[in-house]
This record gives sequence, C-alpha cells and structure tokens, in this order.
Amino acid sequence: MRYGLKEWTEGYVTITVRGKRFERFLNMAVREGLRIWNIRRVGTEACRCDILIKDYFRLRPLMRETGCRSHVEQREGFPFWLARLRRRSGLAIGAFLFLVGLYMLSSFIWTVEVQGTKQLSPERVMQVAEQIGIKEGAWKVKLKEPLHLQRELTSLLPEVTWVGVTIQGTKVTLQVVEKDEPAKPIVTGPRHLVAKKRAVIQTILPEAGRSQVTVNQFVEKGQVLISGIIGNDERQKAVSAKGTIRGEVWYISNASVPLKQSHTRLTGEKQDQQYLVIGPYAVQVWPFEKLPFSQYESKEKRFMPGYAGYTSPVGWKRVTHEEIVQTQKELTVEEAKALAIRFAREDILRKAGKDASIQQEKVLHATSENGKVYVSIHFSVIEDIGVEQPIVGVPQTPEVNSNS
Amino acid sequence: MRRWSRRLRHLAGGVLDLPQDVVLEVLRITMIGHLQMYIENHRGVLHFSEKELRLLLTNGQLIVSGEQLVIRAILPEEVLLEGRIGSVKFLEKP
Repeated sequence: MRYGLKEWTEGYVTITVRGKRFERFLNMAVREGLRIWNIRRVGTEACRCDILIKDYFRLRPLMRETGCRSHVEQREGFPFWLARLRRRSGLAIGAFLFLVGLYMLSSFIWTVEVQGTKQLSPERVMQVAEQIGIKEGAWKVKLKEPLHLQRELTSLLPEVTWVGVTIQGTKVTLQVVEKDEPAKPIVTGPRHLVAKKRAVIQTILPEAGRSQVTVNQFVEKGQVLISGIIGNDERQKAVSAKGTIRGEVWYISNASVPLKQSHTRLTGEKQDQQYLVIGPYAVQVWPFEKLPFSQYESKEKRFMPGYAGYTSPVGWKRVTHEEIVQTQKELTVEEAKALAIRFAREDILRKAGKDASIQQEKVLHATSENGKVYVSIHFSVIEDIGVEQPIVGVPQTPEVNSNS
Repeated sequence: MRRWSRRLRHLAGGVLDLPQDVVLEVLRITMIGHLQMYIENHRGVLHFSEKELRLLLTNGQLIVSGEQLVIRAILPEEVLLEGRIGSVKFLEKP
C-alpha cells in the first residue's frame, strides 16, 4: 500500500491543513486519487499530512471547495535533495571527481609479483614482463589478454616452462614454472694429469688424453701421467685430460701412546637451571640450590622471542649441568701398541685422501719407554695420485671440439 | 429488487463457499495487536481525531477509538490506522 522509495524519488511535502471540513476534504482527495499518508490531527481545526509534490498542485480546487488552507511544513525527497545539492555544488563536484579518480587509479597496475622462481631471479622475469608492457604504472586497458601475455612471456623466457599471468584488481601475479634442466658438465680447459706423489702405478684408466706411463712403473712427483696433447707431430691438439690413476704410495708413520689413559665420563647426574634474560643480564630464577658437582659440563639453551628480524631483549635461558668424573686406566703394552697402530692408520687414511685403501702395513719397531709406547709403521697405500695441471702456451681449442 | 439481489448474494455465498466480505458489501478488518489496524471496504471518513476515527459503511458506521491515532495510508476503500486502539464499535443504520 505504501511505496517508500517511490515517494522519496518523486519528492513529497508535509503540509498542515486548517479548516473545519477536513474530513470532507480528505474524502474528496482520496476519491480524486491523490496519494496522502501519515495523517494526524495537530489541533481542533488542523491536521498534518504528507503528500506527493505532483499531487500537491491538484489540491487547490479541493481547498477552495472545502474552505481549507494549507501550509507547507517540510520538503523531503530526491528533487529537494537535488536542489539542496545544487546550492552546495562544490561537494557534488568533489564527490564526482573522487569517484572518477578512484576509477582511473584502479585502471592502472600498481604491483607486479613473481612467484615460484627457484634458479631464475624474479628481477629477470620482471624485466622481460616489462618488455611486453607488464610493469608498475601500466594502463590495464593497453594490456592484452592474460592468455596472450602468458604465451608471449613463455616464449620470451627460454628458461621457463610456463608463466601464468593473473590480473587481480591492480595487482599482477606472474606464476613461474621453471624448467628442470639437467646439470651442465663442468667445462675444463686443456690440461695434463700429473702425479701428486712418488708412487708405483697400480691402475691407469685414461678417458681423454694419452697415457704416458704403464702399470708398475715408478713415477716421480709432477710427472705427466695422462697427457692432454693428442695427435702426431704435425697435427696437434690440446684436450682436457681425464682419467683415473691409482698408485701405490709408501708412508712411514710414527705414533706414541701413553700407558696411563685418563677419560672423562658422564655420571648421569644433572641439574637444570632457569634464567630470566633481560638485555645483557641473566637472573637465576630456579632452583636456588646448586647441586655440588665437583666437575661438570654445561649446555645452554636460549629462548628469545622475536619477529621479523627483531629480537625482544627479554627472554629465557636454561642451563643444564651434567656431572662428569675422571677415570684412570692402565693399558698393557700390547693394548697400547694396538691403539697406536689404529691411530696411525686413521692418520694415514686422512693424508691419503678419500677412496684410499691400505694394502699393506708393517710395524718397523715398537718400544716402551717412560710409560709410553712408541711405534713406527710402514704403510703401503693404494690411492688416487692424479692431479690436474693446465697446459699453457698452447692455443685453446674451441669448447665444442674438446667435448666431442 | 433490493431484497432479491441480497438473497442472491447470500445464496452465492452459501453455494460457492466464498468469503462473506467478497459477496456482501461488508467491512474486513485486520488488526495487529492493538497497534495497527487495516480496514477494507469503507465508504469514506466521517470524523478523524487523535482519539477517534469514524468511518462510513454501506449500512452504518464504524467507530474506532484509541489514543495517538494516525492514518498511515488511505485509499478510496482502504485505511491503514496506527496508534493505541482501545475499542471498535459498529453502528447499525436504523
């Protein structure tokens, strides 16, 4: 029966009608089809009611007939609101300009984000994206379809399998999927393989280059084992020599072990101490009593809450004391000797490098003096003796030839 | 003639099971508590004040009395009344 929105858009006025025959006036108005609402009596001869603007001008003949008078109290609705706005045009223009500005600013790209790069740097993706127009401050209207951009970006970036372009408002997200390329072989220049140590050749397996020595041959340190120069005297080429040369190397190792050994050992007794850390100070909180350990090891654990690179100056620290005891142990000469041989073996293997193996060991002499056992051992070790030596003074061959 | 028409209407109401207000020209009132009142099939406003609304009917009058009465909307045959309604009274035409 009531249409609030229609009343507001068409505009209405609140009027006070004075007259003795108000009811008659009301009946006539209703029969005429005028829209009147919110009728209330404000005095013995006065009523107030709301009426549409267009109906207000049709009231006149009815007023004359019933002898009533009307007075406009209030004006409401869109037409009046417009008129009020016209008086404050600055506000209206400002609001309009704001909307226009908002629309214009939202039609630019303000952020470009690259996701999913591993080897490739995001800056490189951004650079390439800039070539096809995706950059901060670009006008969205000028950009092509995301699908089109995607294809262009993918073709411009050979390191990439696929690039996803999504435009969300003023933000562009580039989702990069990189190619998993096989690891490239390390390119090396022309070189020889020479002996690292004096040795007797055990095996020689040249992969590239020409072997200069034979098995069971004695080589000096620095002697060329696999030459990087191939070809005859007229036609020569330098290549990157490659291969495995294992040789037998002799070592003599001296080791001494005291007969009296002292060890430290954890007893299993331990105690936690809690500290409150404030800046550079630590205040012990718990416990108050210290356990009487004569010797102990302590471990410390700190908890300092932090966020985004900032650590708070207040934190917590826990120190664990673990009791240790010293024990003395007397070794027999035989035990000490075995221990010395073990030490010597470990020492040799460390010197010989990885994948070395002891072929033979021989105790040269062992003496026990001043509570210590001295052992001198001879080792013969099979180890890799090849080491690279670059060839200088020979024109470098192109990379393609050396690889093929 | 008038009597004939009235009897015909009564008959139609009985046989076709139509609501009385459709066949007979009588009032239909919907009230929501004592706050709102929706009156259909009236014939005009006779008197309206804060305390009383008097409506003309085909045969008689309707007197609604209460306090702070406001006619929220009015159409040729309908009235929407609001306020605190105290009583509703019919006056039969003699």
